[in-house]
Amino acid sequence: MMKKTLSLLVALSLLMSLGLPALAGEKQTINLWSFTDEVPTMVEKYLEFNPDFAAKYDVKVTIIATTDGAYQPALDQALAAGGADAPDIYAAEAAFVLKYTQGDASSFAAPYKDLGIDLSALETADIAQYTVDIGTNPEGNLVALGYQATGGAFIYRRSIAQEVFGTDDPTEIGARIGPGWDKFFEAAAELKAKGYGIVSGDGDVWHAVENSSEAGWVVDGKLNLDPNREAFLDISMQLKEEDFYNDTQDWTDAWFADMKGEGAKGVFGYFGPAWLINYVMADNSGGSAPGEGTYGDWAVCEPPVGFFWGGTWVLANAASEKKEAVGEIINWITLDASEEGLQYHWANGTLHGEGGTKDSVASGAVMAKSDGSLEFLGGQNMFDVFVPANAFANGKNLTQYDETINRFWRDSVRMYTSGQISREEAVEQFKQNVADNLDVIVE
Amino acid sequence: MKRRRRISYAKYGYIFSIPFVLTFLIFSLYPTLYTAFIGFTDLKGLLKTSFSVLEDPFQNFRLILNNASFKLSLANTLKIWVMNFIPQILLALLLTAWFTSNHNKIKGQGLFKVVFYLPNIITAATIAILFNVLFGYPMGPINDILVKTGALSQPYYFLTDKTASQVIVAFIQFWMWYGYTMIILISGVLGINPEIFEAADIDGANDVQTFFLITLPNLRTILLFVLITSMIGGLNMFDIPRLFNLGQPGNATLTTSLFIYNQAFSGSYLYNRAAAASMIVFAIIAVFSLLIFLLMRDKNLAREKKEARQLARQLKQGNFLKKGGGQ
Repeated sequence: MMKKTLSLLVALSLLMSLGLPALAGEKQTINLWSFTDEVPTMVEKYLEFNPDFAAKYDVKVTIIATTDGAYQPALDQALAAGGADAPDIYAAEAAFVLKYTQGDASSFAAPYKDLGIDLSALETADIAQYTVDIGTNPEGNLVALGYQATGGAFIYRRSIAQEVFGTDDPTEIGARIGPGWDKFFEAAAELKAKGYGIVSGDGDVWHAVENSSEAGWVVDGKLNLDPNREAFLDISMQLKEEDFYNDTQDWTDAWFADMKGEGAKGVFGYFGPAWLINYVMADNSGGSAPGEGTYGDWAVCEPPVGFFWGGTWVLANAASEKKEAVGEIINWITLDASEEGLQYHWANGTLHGEGGTKDSVASGAVMAKSDGSLEFLGGQNMFDVFVPANAFANGKNLTQYDETINRFWRDSVRMYTSGQISREEAVEQFKQNVADNLDVIVE
Repeated sequence: MKRRRRISYAKYGYIFSIPFVLTFLIFSLYPTLYTAFIGFTDLKGLLKTSFSVLEDPFQNFRLILNNASFKLSLANTLKIWVMNFIPQILLALLLTAWFTSNHNKIKGQGLFKVVFYLPNIITAATIAILFNVLFGYPMGPINDILVKTGALSQPYYFLTDKTASQVIVAFIQFWMWYGYTMIILISGVLGINPEIFEAADIDGANDVQTFFLITLPNLRTILLFVLITSMIGGLNMFDIPRLFNLGQPGNATLTTSLFIYNQAFSGSYLYNRAAAASMIVFAIIAVFSLLIFLLMRDKNLAREKKEARQLARQLKQGNFLKKGGGQ
C-alpha cells in the first residue's frame, strides 16, 4: 500500500515538473550563440535594464569557444538545420566574420534594416568605417556590426622610452617609430644598442603587415600573394637576424613573459588594439596597480602602419521569427550612442557598476564623450589614440578563408626564420598548402 | 521412441541482437555507404543544397591520389606509426616477460600495472596541448632544462623542426599505448596452459628460452590482435597531431585523418574530396589487414584443414562410386 502511494507521488511530481514550465507563461525564447561570454553578459544586462522586455523574452545562450575551431562547424550546423533551436542572434569573430557576412554563410544573415533598425545612426554615432565594410553583404545591405573597435596602436613601455629616446610622450614616440617600416627599424637599432628588443615576436608586427596589403589573399578565386604581405618574410628575417626581438610566438608563455619584462631581453612594445591592453596585458603585467610589475609603465601611440586586429560582430538570423526583439537588442549593442547604450557602458567600464574594464568601441561619438584614461597607461586617455587609429583600419582586403590561409602563411614564415627552409621553399610550401586544402586556384 | 521436442530459444538471440543491428545499420553502415557515394559527386561548400554525380566519376579519387599533401600524409602516417609501434611492442613484451616470469615474482605488480596504464586514461587533447607547451620556444620547460644543464647553448625551436615534431608525436602515442599493449599481452600469457611452462621448467629451460620458444609462439593470436588494432589506430591517428601543432610544421605531422579533416573543414568544405580520401584510406587499411592476417596465419593449421577437406571429398567420391557403380 505504501509502495503504491509512494510511486504514485513520484510519478505525479515528475509530471508536474514537466508541465509547470509550460504553464509559467508565454515567454518567447531568443537563441543566442557566441564564442565567449561577452555578448551573453551584455544581453543579460539588457534584460536587467529593461524588465518589460525581460517579461516577454527568455534568452537561451550557447557558448562554444573557438579553440580548435570548434565554434564554426557547430554554428554552421545550427544555422543550416533551422527550426526552433536555430540561433536568432549569433556572434562572429574577426578571424572568420567574412564567411558570415560576405561568404558562404551570408545568406543566413538578416539585413539590419529588416530588423527595424534605423541606419541613420551610422552617421550620428560615427561608426568606424572598417566595421561597416566588413559587415556589409554582397547585395550592399548591412548585416553585421561590431561593438568594439579594434583599430590598433603601438603600446610601449614608458621607462624604456625615457632611457633610449629621452621622452615618453606619445606624439614624439609615434614620430620616432614611424610612419613606415624603415623608421621602425631605425628605432629598433637604437633600442638594440641599449640592449632592448622592439617587439616580442614576429606575430606582433604581422597584423599591421596583413592589414597594409592592397588586396586580400584571394582575388577572383585565385591566390594572391600581395607584395606587402610577402614582405613579411623579409621583415621577420630582419627582426631575427639583427636580434631586434625575442623570437616568441604570440599566445605562448614566452610572449606573455615579455609583458612582464621577464624575457631574454626587455621588450619595448606590442602592436595591439584596446582589448589587448585591457584583457591581455593588464592581467599579464605582473601586477594590478601602478608600481607592481610593469603595470602603469605603458603608453600608446600611433603605429608605423595602421591596422585592426580582432573584434566581434553581431548578426541576426534571417529566418528568425522574433526580428523586432532581436533588432532591439542589436541596436542597443551596436548603434545606440546614448549614455544608456551598451557602447557607453563598454567604453567607460560601467556595465557592471563602476570600475570595470574599459575598451574602445565602434562609435567615435561615444568615445569622444567618454573617459578612456587608464592607470595601466599611466593615466593616458587611450581614446585619444584609438579614435584616429580606427580610421586607418582597412576592412576591404579580407576574405573568408583568411583564418586558414594566415595559419599556413605564418607557419611557413616561422620555419623560414628558424632556418629550417629557404625563402623560396617557404613560398612554395605555402602555395602547396593552399592548393591542397582549399578551393582556391593557385598559379 | 518419441523424442520430446526441445524448445528452441534461438529466436530470442536474434531478438536481443536487433537493437545492435539497427544501431549499426543506421549509424555505421549507412554513413559509410553515403560517404562512399559522396566521393563520386561534386558535393562541396557550406550550404549543401543539391549535388550531382560527376561526369567523370573517379575525378575526386584521381585528384586525391595526385595531391601532394595526401601522399605526404600517407608517408607521415606510416613513418610515425612505425616509430611509435616498434618501441611500444618491444617495451610491452619486455614488461610482460618480467611480470609473468615464474622465477622472479615482482612485488607491487598491481601498482605498476596501474601506473603504466595511466597515460592511456588521460585525454589525448590534454596530453597534446601539454607537450606543445612543454616544448615552447624560447621559454618552455624542456628548453629551460636543456639550457640550464648546458646540453644546449641556446633554446631550440622544436616545433619548427620537422623530424623533432614527428618524433614527439610518435613518442606521445608510444607513451599513451604501451601500458594498454602490456595489459593485453599479460592477459594473453595468463591464458597459456601452465603445464607447458612446468614441462619447460623441468626440462631446464631458462627465462629467455621460455620466453622466445614457448610464450611468443603461443601468443600468436594475441599479437595479431595487438598488431591489427594498433595499425588501425595508427592509420587513423588524428587527435594528437591536430592538437599538438595542427599538422605543422610544414605538414610534417600531417596524418591521413588530419588531411581528410582539413579537406572538409578548413574553409572550403570540400566534402567530395574528403569522402574520396576516406575511401582510399579505407581500402589501404583493408589491404594491410588482409596482408597481416595472411602473414600471421597458423600455416600448420591451414595445411591440416586443407588435407582434411581433401580427404572428406575423396571419401564422398569413393562412397558414391561404391554405391552407384558396383557392376
